Amino acid sequence: MFPSEAMLASAPTMAEPRSTFTLGLAQIDCRLGDVDANLEKHLAWIERAREQGVDLLVFPELSLTGYRLLHLTSRVAMRADAPALRRLAEAAGTMSVLAGFVEASERGVLHNSSVLFGGTSGGGAPFIHRKLYLPTYGLFQEERFFRPGKRLDLAPLPWGRAGVLICEDLWHPELARRLAVAGAKLLLVVSAAPGRIGASEAPANHENWEILTRATSLLDTCWVVYCNRVGWEEGSFYAGGSHVVSPGGEVLTRAPFLDEHLLVTEIDLRDSDRVRWRLPLLEDERNDIEGPA
Amino acid sequence: MKVLDRLLLNGPLAVKVLTSFIRDAVEMSGTAGVVVGLSGGVDSSLSAALAVRALGPEKVHGYLLPYRTSSPESEADARLVAEHLGMPHRVIDISPMIDAYFQTAIADEKDVEPGRRGNKMARERMTILFDQAKRRSSLVLGTSNKTEILLGYSTVFGDNASSLNPLGDLYKHQVWQLSRHLELPGQVVDKAPSADLWPGQTDEGELGFSYVLADEILCLLFDLGLSPAEIIERGYDERVVQRIVRLEQQFRFKRRLMLIARLSGSAVNLDQEIPRD
Repeated sequence: MFPSEAMLASAPTMAEPRSTFTLGLAQIDCRLGDVDANLEKHLAWIERAREQGVDLLVFPELSLTGYRLLHLTSRVAMRADAPALRRLAEAAGTMSVLAGFVEASERGVLHNSSVLFGGTSGGGAPFIHRKLYLPTYGLFQEERFFRPGKRLDLAPLPWGRAGVLICEDLWHPELARRLAVAGAKLLLVVSAAPGRIGASEAPANHENWEILTRATSLLDTCWVVYCNRVGWEEGSFYAGGSHVVSPGGEVLTRAPFLDEHLLVTEIDLRDSDRVRWRLPLLEDERNDIEGPA
Repeated sequence: MKVLDRLLLNGPLAVKVLTSFIRDAVEMSGTAGVVVGLSGGVDSSLSAALAVRALGPEKVHGYLLPYRTSSPESEADARLVAEHLGMPHRVIDISPMIDAYFQTAIADEKDVEPGRRGNKMARERMTILFDQAKRRSSLVLGTSNKTEILLGYSTVFGDNASSLNPLGDLYKHQVWQLSRHLELPGQVVDKAPSADLWPGQTDEGELGFSYVLADEILCLLFDLGLSPAEIIERGYDERVVQRIVRLEQQFRFKRRLMLIARLSGSAVNLDQEIPRD
Protein backbone atom coordinates (compact mmCIF):
# COMPACT_ATOMS: atom_id res chain seq x y z
CA MET A 1 0.00 0.00 0.00
CA PHE A 2 1.29 3.40 -0.99
CA PRO A 3 1.16 6.44 1.26
CA SER A 4 -1.24 9.09 0.14
CA GLU A 5 0.00 12.16 -1.66
CA ALA A 6 -1.05 14.26 1.28
CA MET A 7 1.23 12.27 3.60
CA LEU A 8 4.17 12.61 1.23
CA ALA A 9 3.69 16.34 1.05
CA SER A 10 3.36 16.93 4.75
CA ALA A 11 5.74 14.53 6.40
CA PRO A 12 9.22 16.00 6.07
CA THR A 13 8.54 19.62 5.22
CA MET A 14 6.06 20.69 7.85
CA ALA A 15 7.46 18.75 10.77
CA GLU A 16 10.90 20.35 10.81
CA PRO A 17 11.85 23.98 11.13
CA ARG A 18 13.72 25.71 8.33
CA SER A 19 17.30 24.43 8.35
CA THR A 20 18.80 26.88 5.88
CA PHE A 21 19.83 30.45 6.59
CA THR A 22 22.27 33.12 5.45
CA LEU A 23 25.34 33.55 7.61
CA GLY A 24 27.46 36.70 7.71
CA LEU A 25 30.95 36.88 9.27
CA ALA A 26 31.87 40.47 10.14
CA GLN A 27 35.65 40.52 9.85
CA ILE A 28 36.17 43.97 11.33
CA ASP A 29 38.89 46.10 12.90
CA CYS A 30 38.09 47.42 16.40
CA ARG A 31 39.10 50.57 18.27
CA LEU A 32 40.89 49.56 21.45
CA GLY A 33 38.92 50.69 24.50
CA ASP A 34 36.41 52.78 22.49
CA VAL A 35 33.00 51.14 22.95
CA ASP A 36 31.10 54.02 21.33
CA ALA A 37 33.10 53.85 18.10
CA ASN A 38 32.87 50.05 18.01
CA LEU A 39 29.13 50.09 18.68
CA GLU A 40 28.59 52.48 15.77
CA LYS A 41 30.54 50.14 13.53
CA HIS A 42 28.45 47.17 14.70
CA LEU A 43 25.24 49.07 13.89
CA ALA A 44 26.53 50.02 10.44
CA TRP A 45 27.60 46.45 9.67
CA ILE A 46 24.25 45.08 10.86
CA GLU A 47 22.53 47.34 8.32
CA ARG A 48 24.99 46.32 5.64
CA ALA A 49 24.39 42.64 6.43
CA ARG A 50 20.62 43.15 6.41
CA GLU A 51 20.85 44.49 2.86
CA GLN A 52 22.54 41.23 1.88
CA GLY A 53 19.84 39.13 3.50
CA VAL A 54 21.97 37.91 6.41
CA ASP A 55 20.03 36.00 9.10
CA LEU A 56 22.93 35.42 11.53
CA LEU A 57 25.76 37.94 11.83
CA VAL A 58 28.87 37.00 13.79
CA PHE A 59 31.37 39.54 15.17
CA PRO A 60 34.85 38.58 16.48
CA GLU A 61 36.04 38.15 20.07
CA LEU A 62 35.73 41.31 22.20
CA SER A 63 34.40 43.11 19.14
CA LEU A 64 32.83 45.95 21.16
CA THR A 65 35.98 46.75 23.12
CA GLY A 66 39.08 45.58 21.25
CA TYR A 67 41.28 42.79 22.58
CA ARG A 68 44.53 43.91 24.20
CA LEU A 69 42.94 46.04 26.89
CA LEU A 70 45.22 45.27 29.85
CA HIS A 71 44.27 47.72 32.62
CA LEU A 72 41.59 49.28 30.42
CA THR A 73 39.59 46.06 30.80
CA SER A 74 37.62 47.20 33.83
CA ARG A 75 36.90 50.59 32.24
CA VAL A 76 34.98 49.06 29.35
CA ALA A 77 33.25 46.30 31.33
CA MET A 78 29.44 46.22 31.20
CA ARG A 79 26.50 44.23 32.46
CA ALA A 80 24.48 42.17 30.00
CA ASP A 81 21.69 44.77 30.22
CA ALA A 82 23.98 47.75 29.53
CA PRO A 83 22.68 50.47 27.18
CA ALA A 84 25.26 49.63 24.48
CA LEU A 85 24.05 46.03 24.37
CA ARG A 86 20.40 47.11 24.39
CA ARG A 87 21.07 49.29 21.36
CA LEU A 88 22.74 46.36 19.67
CA ALA A 89 19.74 44.14 20.42
CA GLU A 90 17.33 46.75 19.03
CA ALA A 91 19.40 47.14 15.88
CA ALA A 92 19.54 43.37 15.42
CA GLY A 93 15.74 43.12 15.39
CA THR A 94 14.87 39.81 13.79
CA MET A 95 18.48 39.16 12.79
CA SER A 96 20.55 36.97 15.11
CA VAL A 97 23.74 38.79 16.13
CA LEU A 98 26.72 37.47 18.10
CA ALA A 99 29.08 40.11 19.52
CA GLY A 100 31.99 40.14 21.98
CA PHE A 101 32.26 42.28 25.11
CA VAL A 102 33.81 42.52 28.57
CA GLU A 103 31.09 41.20 30.85
CA ALA A 104 30.81 42.45 34.43
CA SER A 105 29.04 39.61 36.18
CA GLU A 106 26.80 39.79 39.22
CA ARG A 107 29.54 38.17 41.26
CA GLY A 108 31.86 41.12 40.70
CA VAL A 109 34.23 39.46 38.26
CA LEU A 110 34.97 40.13 34.59
CA HIS A 111 34.51 37.67 31.73
CA ASN A 112 35.60 37.61 28.10
CA SER A 113 32.09 36.96 26.74
CA SER A 114 30.09 36.73 23.54
CA VAL A 115 26.38 37.58 23.58
CA LEU A 116 23.75 36.37 21.11
CA PHE A 117 20.74 38.54 20.34
CA GLY A 118 17.73 37.46 18.33
CA GLY A 119 17.94 33.80 19.30
CA THR A 120 14.82 31.89 20.26
CA SER A 121 15.37 31.80 24.01
CA GLY A 122 12.26 33.98 24.08
CA GLY A 123 11.74 37.21 25.91
CA GLY A 124 14.25 36.71 28.69
CA ALA A 125 17.97 37.23 28.94
CA PRO A 126 20.11 36.83 25.81
CA PHE A 127 22.41 33.82 25.44
CA ILE A 128 25.93 34.47 26.74
CA HIS A 129 29.04 32.33 26.42
CA ARG A 130 31.88 33.13 28.80
CA LYS A 131 35.30 32.14 27.50
CA LEU A 132 36.35 28.95 29.26
CA TYR A 133 40.09 28.86 28.56
CA LEU A 134 41.96 32.12 29.12
CA PRO A 135 45.42 32.04 27.52
CA THR A 136 48.09 33.42 29.84
CA TYR A 137 51.38 32.71 28.15
CA GLY A 138 53.53 34.33 25.49
CA LEU A 139 51.94 37.69 24.73
CA PHE A 140 48.59 36.62 26.24
CA GLN A 141 47.63 37.93 29.69
CA GLU A 142 43.94 37.08 29.97
CA GLU A 143 43.97 35.52 33.44
CA ARG A 144 45.30 38.77 34.85
CA PHE A 145 42.12 40.57 33.85
CA PHE A 146 39.36 37.97 33.37
CA ARG A 147 37.93 34.97 35.20
CA PRO A 148 37.09 31.90 33.14
CA GLY A 149 33.49 30.85 32.51
CA LYS A 150 32.18 27.68 34.16
CA ARG A 151 29.41 26.52 31.85
CA LEU A 152 29.04 25.16 28.36
CA ASP A 153 25.57 25.65 26.85
CA LEU A 154 23.92 25.40 23.47
CA ALA A 155 22.84 28.65 21.86
CA PRO A 156 19.25 28.55 20.62
CA LEU A 157 19.08 29.74 17.01
CA PRO A 158 15.88 29.80 14.93
CA TRP A 159 17.29 27.00 12.74
CA GLY A 160 18.65 24.75 15.45
CA ARG A 161 21.11 24.80 18.30
CA ALA A 162 24.70 25.96 17.96
CA GLY A 163 27.82 26.07 20.07
CA VAL A 164 29.77 29.24 20.73
CA LEU A 165 33.50 29.03 21.40
CA ILE A 166 35.89 31.91 21.92
CA CYS A 167 39.38 31.55 20.44
CA GLU A 168 41.41 29.42 22.92
CA ASP A 169 38.28 27.36 23.63
CA LEU A 170 38.77 25.66 20.24
CA TRP A 171 42.28 24.53 21.25
CA HIS A 172 40.71 22.27 23.89
CA PRO A 173 38.84 19.91 21.57
CA GLU A 174 36.69 18.27 24.22
CA LEU A 175 34.51 21.40 24.28
CA ALA A 176 33.59 21.17 20.60
CA ARG A 177 33.00 17.43 21.06
CA ARG A 178 30.66 17.96 24.00
CA LEU A 179 28.70 20.58 22.07
CA ALA A 180 28.35 18.29 19.06
CA VAL A 181 27.33 15.31 21.19
CA ALA A 182 24.73 17.51 22.91
CA GLY A 183 23.21 18.40 19.55
CA ALA A 184 25.11 21.27 17.98
CA LYS A 185 25.30 21.06 14.20
CA LEU A 186 27.06 24.40 13.98
CA LEU A 187 29.98 25.83 15.97
CA LEU A 188 30.51 29.58 15.99
CA VAL A 189 34.17 30.23 16.74
CA VAL A 190 35.15 33.84 17.30
CA SER A 191 38.66 35.08 17.85
CA ALA A 192 41.16 37.91 18.03
CA ALA A 193 44.17 35.85 16.99
CA PRO A 194 47.48 37.73 16.75
CA GLY A 195 49.06 37.15 13.35
CA ARG A 196 52.50 35.83 12.50
CA ILE A 197 54.13 35.40 9.12
CA GLY A 198 56.64 33.01 7.64
CA ALA A 199 57.50 31.60 4.24
CA SER A 200 53.92 30.81 3.18
CA GLU A 201 51.43 33.01 1.38
CA ALA A 202 48.99 32.72 4.29
CA PRO A 203 49.89 34.05 7.74
CA ALA A 204 51.63 31.28 9.69
CA ASN A 205 49.15 31.29 12.57
CA HIS A 206 46.21 31.11 10.14
CA GLU A 207 47.44 27.76 8.89
CA ASN A 208 47.13 26.42 12.42
CA TRP A 209 43.61 27.79 12.73
CA GLU A 210 42.49 26.16 9.54
CA ILE A 211 43.96 22.84 10.65
CA LEU A 212 41.89 23.15 13.84
CA THR A 213 38.61 24.26 12.26
CA ARG A 214 38.82 21.57 9.59
CA ALA A 215 39.77 18.84 12.06
CA THR A 216 36.94 19.90 14.36
CA SER A 217 34.37 19.79 11.56
CA LEU A 218 35.61 16.35 10.49
CA LEU A 219 35.75 14.83 13.97
CA ASP A 220 32.50 16.37 15.20
CA THR A 221 30.71 16.22 11.82
CA CYS A 222 29.31 19.73 12.09
CA TRP A 223 29.61 23.15 10.49
CA VAL A 224 32.48 25.21 11.90
CA VAL A 225 32.58 28.92 11.16
CA TYR A 226 35.51 31.04 12.25
CA CYS A 227 35.32 34.81 12.59
CA ASN A 228 38.63 36.55 13.22
CA ARG A 229 39.33 40.25 13.34
CA VAL A 230 41.81 42.45 11.50
CA GLY A 231 43.75 45.61 12.39
CA TRP A 232 46.63 46.52 14.70
CA GLU A 233 46.88 46.80 18.47
CA GLU A 234 50.12 47.61 20.27
CA GLY A 235 52.25 46.61 17.30
CA SER A 236 50.51 43.26 16.86
CA PHE A 237 48.20 42.52 13.91
CA TYR A 238 45.16 40.31 13.52
CA ALA A 239 45.23 38.35 10.29
CA GLY A 240 41.54 37.93 9.39
CA GLY A 241 41.08 34.90 7.14
CA SER A 242 37.60 34.20 8.56
CA HIS A 243 36.15 31.11 6.95
CA VAL A 244 33.36 28.56 6.78
CA VAL A 245 34.01 24.81 6.98
CA SER A 246 31.33 22.36 5.89
CA PRO A 247 30.56 19.29 8.04
CA GLY A 248 32.83 17.28 5.76
CA GLY A 249 35.88 19.39 6.57
CA GLU A 250 35.95 21.46 3.39
CA VAL A 251 36.70 25.20 3.51
CA LEU A 252 33.80 26.58 1.45
CA THR A 253 34.74 30.23 1.55
CA ARG A 254 37.34 32.44 3.16
CA ALA A 255 37.65 36.18 3.72
CA PRO A 256 40.87 37.91 2.65
CA PHE A 257 43.75 38.33 5.06
CA LEU A 258 44.33 41.68 6.83
CA ASP A 259 41.36 43.60 5.34
CA GLU A 260 37.88 44.18 6.71
CA HIS A 261 35.32 41.99 4.96
CA LEU A 262 31.74 40.81 5.26
CA LEU A 263 31.72 37.13 4.30
CA VAL A 264 28.23 35.90 3.40
CA THR A 265 27.36 32.20 2.95
CA GLU A 266 24.30 29.97 2.81
CA ILE A 267 24.23 27.32 5.54
CA ASP A 268 22.06 24.22 5.62
CA LEU A 269 22.23 22.59 9.05
CA ARG A 270 20.89 19.36 7.57
CA ASP A 271 24.25 18.95 5.79
CA SER A 272 25.50 17.96 9.21
CA ASP A 273 22.89 15.17 9.43
CA ARG A 274 23.75 13.99 5.94
CA VAL A 275 27.41 13.61 6.92
CA ARG A 276 26.51 11.92 10.22
CA TRP A 277 24.38 9.32 8.43
CA ARG A 278 27.41 8.04 6.59
CA LEU A 279 30.04 8.95 9.21
CA PRO A 280 28.54 8.11 12.64
CA LEU A 281 31.50 9.22 14.74
CA LEU A 282 29.39 10.88 17.43
CA GLU A 283 27.06 7.86 17.71
CA ASP A 284 30.10 5.60 18.06
CA GLU A 285 31.60 7.69 20.85
CA ARG A 286 32.35 5.46 23.87
CA ASN A 287 32.58 6.53 27.50
CA ASP A 288 33.28 3.06 28.92
CA ILE A 289 36.90 2.62 27.90
CA GLU A 290 39.23 2.13 30.85
CA GLY A 291 42.84 3.23 31.35
CA PRO A 292 45.54 4.26 30.94
CA ALA A 293 46.37 3.59 34.55
CA MET B 1 65.73 22.25 8.13
CA LYS B 2 68.55 24.76 8.02
CA VAL B 3 68.34 27.50 10.61
CA LEU B 4 68.30 30.32 8.07
CA ASP B 5 65.43 28.64 6.21
CA ARG B 6 63.30 29.22 9.29
CA LEU B 7 63.76 32.94 8.75
CA LEU B 8 62.41 32.91 5.20
CA LEU B 9 59.55 35.31 4.69
CA ASN B 10 56.90 35.46 2.04
CA GLY B 11 57.84 38.78 0.42
CA PRO B 12 54.40 40.00 -0.72
CA LEU B 13 52.77 39.08 2.61
CA ALA B 14 55.54 40.69 4.67
CA VAL B 15 55.27 43.88 2.63
CA LYS B 16 51.49 43.91 2.96
CA VAL B 17 51.68 43.49 6.74
CA LEU B 18 54.42 46.07 7.27
CA THR B 19 52.87 48.71 5.01
CA SER B 20 49.57 48.23 6.83
CA PHE B 21 51.46 48.73 10.12
CA ILE B 22 52.85 52.08 8.94
CA ARG B 23 49.53 53.22 7.47
CA ASP B 24 47.66 52.30 10.65
CA ALA B 25 50.12 54.16 12.89
CA VAL B 26 49.92 57.32 10.76
CA GLU B 27 46.13 57.21 10.50
CA MET B 28 45.60 56.45 14.20
CA SER B 29 47.89 59.30 15.26
CA GLY B 30 46.31 61.71 12.79
CA THR B 31 49.73 62.73 11.49
CA ALA B 32 50.70 63.75 7.97
CA GLY B 33 53.32 61.07 7.29
CA VAL B 34 56.78 60.03 8.47
CA VAL B 35 60.31 61.37 8.49
CA VAL B 36 63.25 59.00 8.27
CA GLY B 37 67.01 59.37 8.50
CA LEU B 38 68.72 57.92 5.44
CA SER B 39 72.23 56.59 6.08
CA GLY B 40 72.72 54.90 2.74
CA GLY B 41 72.57 51.53 4.51
CA VAL B 42 70.12 48.72 3.92
CA ASP B 43 68.04 49.19 7.10
CA SER B 44 67.03 52.81 6.60
CA SER B 45 66.56 52.14 2.87
CA LEU B 46 64.13 49.31 3.58
CA SER B 47 62.22 51.34 6.19
CA ALA B 48 61.88 54.21 3.72
CA ALA B 49 60.83 51.87 0.91
CA LEU B 50 58.10 50.35 3.06
CA ALA B 51 56.88 53.81 4.09
CA VAL B 52 56.78 54.99 0.48
CA ARG B 53 54.71 51.94 -0.42
CA ALA B 54 52.41 52.52 2.53
CA LEU B 55 51.87 56.27 2.26
CA GLY B 56 53.10 57.41 -1.14
CA PRO B 57 56.46 59.18 -1.64
CA GLU B 58 55.19 62.69 -0.88
CA LYS B 59 54.38 61.73 2.74
CA VAL B 60 57.84 60.31 3.45
CA HIS B 61 60.58 62.85 4.07
CA GLY B 62 64.16 61.61 4.06
CA TYR B 63 67.01 63.32 5.91
CA LEU B 64 70.68 62.80 5.16
CA LEU B 65 72.57 63.79 8.30
CA PRO B 66 76.32 63.52 7.67
CA TYR B 67 79.17 64.60 9.94
CA ARG B 68 82.24 66.02 8.23
CA THR B 69 84.15 62.75 8.57
CA SER B 70 81.25 60.62 7.32
CA SER B 71 81.93 58.61 4.21
CA PRO B 72 80.93 60.41 0.98
CA GLU B 73 79.89 57.03 -0.45
CA SER B 74 77.28 56.65 2.31
CA GLU B 75 75.79 60.01 1.41
CA ALA B 76 75.79 59.14 -2.29
CA ASP B 77 74.03 55.85 -1.54
CA ALA B 78 71.42 57.61 0.61
CA ARG B 79 70.76 60.05 -2.23
CA LEU B 80 70.50 57.18 -4.68
CA VAL B 81 67.87 55.46 -2.49
CA ALA B 82 65.83 58.66 -2.04
CA GLU B 83 65.84 59.26 -5.79
CA HIS B 84 65.08 55.61 -6.49
CA LEU B 85 62.03 55.86 -4.21
CA GLY B 86 61.05 59.29 -5.55
CA MET B 87 60.80 60.77 -2.04
CA PRO B 88 61.64 64.33 -0.99
CA HIS B 89 64.95 64.53 0.88
CA ARG B 90 67.26 67.06 2.41
CA VAL B 91 70.83 67.17 3.72
CA ILE B 92 71.54 68.66 7.14
CA ASP B 93 75.21 68.74 8.15
CA ILE B 94 75.53 67.91 11.86
CA SER B 95 79.20 68.99 12.09
CA PRO B 96 78.50 72.44 13.62
CA MET B 97 76.39 70.96 16.44
CA ILE B 98 78.80 68.14 17.21
CA ASP B 99 81.87 70.37 17.05
CA ALA B 100 80.21 73.05 19.20
CA TYR B 101 79.87 70.46 21.95
CA PHE B 102 83.19 68.66 21.80
CA GLN B 103 85.43 71.56 20.68
CA THR B 104 83.83 74.39 22.60
CA ALA B 105 81.44 73.35 25.37
CA ILE B 106 83.61 70.56 26.76
CA ALA B 107 86.93 71.56 25.23
CA ASP B 108 88.54 71.09 28.67
CA GLU B 109 87.91 67.35 28.62
CA LYS B 110 90.87 65.40 27.32
CA ASP B 111 90.78 61.98 25.66
CA VAL B 112 87.14 61.83 24.60
CA GLU B 113 86.69 58.22 23.56
CA PRO B 114 85.33 57.60 20.02
CA GLY B 115 82.22 55.86 21.38
CA ARG B 116 81.06 59.11 22.98
CA ARG B 117 81.35 60.95 19.70
CA GLY B 118 79.41 58.19 17.93
CA ASN B 119 76.65 58.27 20.54
CA LYS B 120 76.45 62.05 20.42
CA MET B 121 76.09 61.97 16.65
CA ALA B 122 73.37 59.31 16.79
CA ARG B 123 71.45 61.40 19.36
CA GLU B 124 72.00 64.62 17.41
CA ARG B 125 70.50 62.97 14.35
CA MET B 126 67.49 61.77 16.33
CA THR B 127 66.82 65.22 17.83
CA ILE B 128 66.85 66.62 14.30
CA LEU B 129 64.45 63.94 13.09
CA PHE B 130 62.04 64.59 15.97
CA ASP B 131 62.25 68.32 15.33
CA GLN B 132 61.57 67.89 11.62
CA ALA B 133 58.76 65.48 12.49
CA LYS B 134 57.21 68.19 14.67
CA ARG B 135 57.55 70.68 11.84
CA ARG B 136 55.85 68.32 9.40
CA SER B 137 53.36 66.92 11.92
CA SER B 138 54.83 63.50 11.19
CA LEU B 139 56.09 60.42 13.01
CA VAL B 140 59.75 59.38 13.19
CA LEU B 141 60.23 56.10 11.38
CA GLY B 142 62.66 53.72 13.09
CA THR B 143 65.27 51.64 11.30
CA SER B 144 66.66 49.28 13.98
CA ASN B 145 66.42 45.59 13.15
CA LYS B 146 65.93 42.69 15.57
CA THR B 147 69.57 41.60 15.43
CA GLU B 148 70.78 45.04 16.52
CA ILE B 149 68.10 45.30 19.18
CA LEU B 150 68.94 41.92 20.70
CA LEU B 151 72.68 42.60 20.62
CA GLY B 152 72.23 46.10 22.01
CA TYR B 153 74.13 47.43 19.00
CA SER B 154 72.54 50.86 19.13
CA THR B 155 72.60 54.19 20.94
CA VAL B 156 69.91 54.72 23.60
CA PHE B 157 67.70 57.66 22.59
CA GLY B 158 69.72 57.77 19.37
CA ASP B 159 69.10 55.38 16.52
CA ASN B 160 66.99 53.15 18.77
CA ALA B 161 64.50 55.95 19.43
CA SER B 162 61.57 56.31 17.05
CA SER B 163 57.80 56.61 16.94
CA LEU B 164 57.28 53.37 15.07
CA ASN B 165 59.65 50.73 13.78
CA PRO B 166 58.65 48.34 11.00
CA LEU B 167 61.99 46.48 11.15
CA GLY B 168 62.15 45.69 14.87
CA ASP B 169 61.04 42.07 14.45
CA LEU B 170 63.18 41.36 11.38
CA TYR B 171 66.61 39.78 11.71
CA LYS B 172 69.31 41.29 9.47
CA HIS B 173 69.05 38.27 7.19
CA GLN B 174 65.35 39.07 6.73
CA VAL B 175 66.10 42.76 6.12
CA TRP B 176 68.33 41.71 3.24
CA GLN B 177 65.72 39.31 1.95
CA LEU B 178 62.94 41.93 1.91
CA SER B 179 65.25 44.56 0.43
CA ARG B 180 65.97 42.25 -2.50
CA HIS B 181 62.27 41.48 -2.81
CA LEU B 182 61.58 45.22 -3.10
CA GLU B 183 64.44 45.56 -5.58
CA LEU B 184 66.37 48.21 -3.71
CA PRO B 185 69.61 49.28 -5.42
CA GLY B 186 72.10 46.41 -5.37
CA GLN B 187 75.02 48.50 -4.16
CA VAL B 188 73.05 49.40 -1.01
CA VAL B 189 71.85 45.87 -0.30
CA ASP B 190 75.12 44.11 -0.99
CA LYS B 191 77.65 46.36 0.75
CA ALA B 192 79.12 45.58 4.17
CA PRO B 193 76.91 47.07 6.92
CA SER B 194 78.53 50.03 8.68
CA ALA B 195 77.50 52.54 11.33
CA ASP B 196 80.01 54.88 9.61
CA LEU B 197 81.58 55.75 12.96
CA TRP B 198 85.04 56.08 11.40
CA PRO B 199 86.45 55.47 7.90
CA GLY B 200 86.40 51.80 6.95
CA GLN B 201 84.38 50.78 10.01
CA THR B 202 82.07 47.79 9.54
CA ASP B 203 79.51 46.38 11.99
CA GLU B 204 80.74 42.84 11.53
CA GLY B 205 84.37 43.86 12.11
CA GLU B 206 83.41 45.64 15.31
CA LEU B 207 81.09 42.92 16.61
CA GLY B 208 83.59 40.18 15.82
CA PHE B 209 81.15 37.89 13.97
CA SER B 210 79.00 38.00 10.85
CA TYR B 211 75.34 38.97 10.90
CA VAL B 212 74.39 35.69 9.27
CA LEU B 213 76.06 33.77 12.08
CA ALA B 214 74.50 36.06 14.71
CA ASP B 215 71.06 35.57 13.16
CA GLU B 216 71.42 31.80 13.26
CA ILE B 217 72.48 31.83 16.91
CA LEU B 218 69.82 34.36 17.94
CA CYS B 219 67.15 32.35 16.13
CA LEU B 220 68.22 29.20 17.99
CA LEU B 221 68.26 31.07 21.31
CA PHE B 222 65.07 33.13 21.02
CA ASP B 223 62.84 31.60 18.39
CA LEU B 224 63.55 27.95 19.16
CA GLY B 225 64.51 28.20 22.84
CA LEU B 226 67.78 26.25 22.78
CA SER B 227 70.29 26.73 25.59
CA PRO B 228 73.77 28.10 24.77
CA ALA B 229 75.22 24.65 25.52
CA GLU B 230 72.87 23.01 23.03
CA ILE B 231 73.83 25.56 20.38
CA ILE B 232 77.54 24.87 20.95
CA GLU B 233 76.79 21.13 20.69
CA ARG B 234 75.43 21.80 17.21
CA GLY B 235 78.88 22.96 16.16
CA TYR B 236 78.73 26.72 16.59
CA ASP B 237 81.88 28.50 17.76
CA GLU B 238 81.77 28.58 21.55
CA ARG B 239 83.37 32.04 21.82
CA VAL B 240 80.84 33.57 19.42
CA VAL B 241 77.88 31.95 21.20
CA GLN B 242 79.09 33.16 24.58
CA ARG B 243 79.76 36.66 23.28
CA ILE B 244 76.26 36.88 21.79
CA VAL B 245 74.67 35.60 25.01
CA ARG B 246 76.70 38.16 26.99
CA LEU B 247 75.77 41.07 24.68
CA GLU B 248 72.09 40.15 24.87
CA GLN B 249 72.17 40.16 28.69
CA GLN B 250 74.37 43.21 29.07
CA PHE B 251 72.21 45.49 26.93
CA ARG B 252 68.71 44.46 27.97
CA PHE B 253 68.24 47.91 29.51
CA LYS B 254 68.25 49.40 26.03
CA ARG B 255 65.04 47.58 25.19
CA ARG B 256 63.00 48.71 28.19
CA LEU B 257 63.47 52.42 28.56
CA MET B 258 62.20 54.60 31.39
CA LEU B 259 62.78 52.55 34.54
CA ILE B 260 60.43 54.00 37.15
CA ALA B 261 60.83 53.50 40.93
CA ARG B 262 57.49 52.06 42.07
CA LEU B 263 56.14 53.69 45.24
CA SER B 264 52.36 53.62 44.92
CA GLY B 265 50.04 50.81 43.97
CA SER B 266 49.41 52.42 40.60
CA ALA B 267 52.83 52.91 39.04
CA VAL B 268 52.83 53.72 35.34
CA ASN B 269 53.76 50.71 33.20
CA LEU B 270 53.74 48.31 36.18
CA ASP B 271 50.41 48.49 38.00
CA GLN B 272 48.84 50.51 35.22
CA GLU B 273 49.74 48.82 32.00
CA ILE B 274 47.67 50.97 29.69
CA PRO B 275 47.91 50.18 25.99
CA ARG B 276 49.31 53.02 23.89
CA ASP B 277 46.94 52.40 20.99
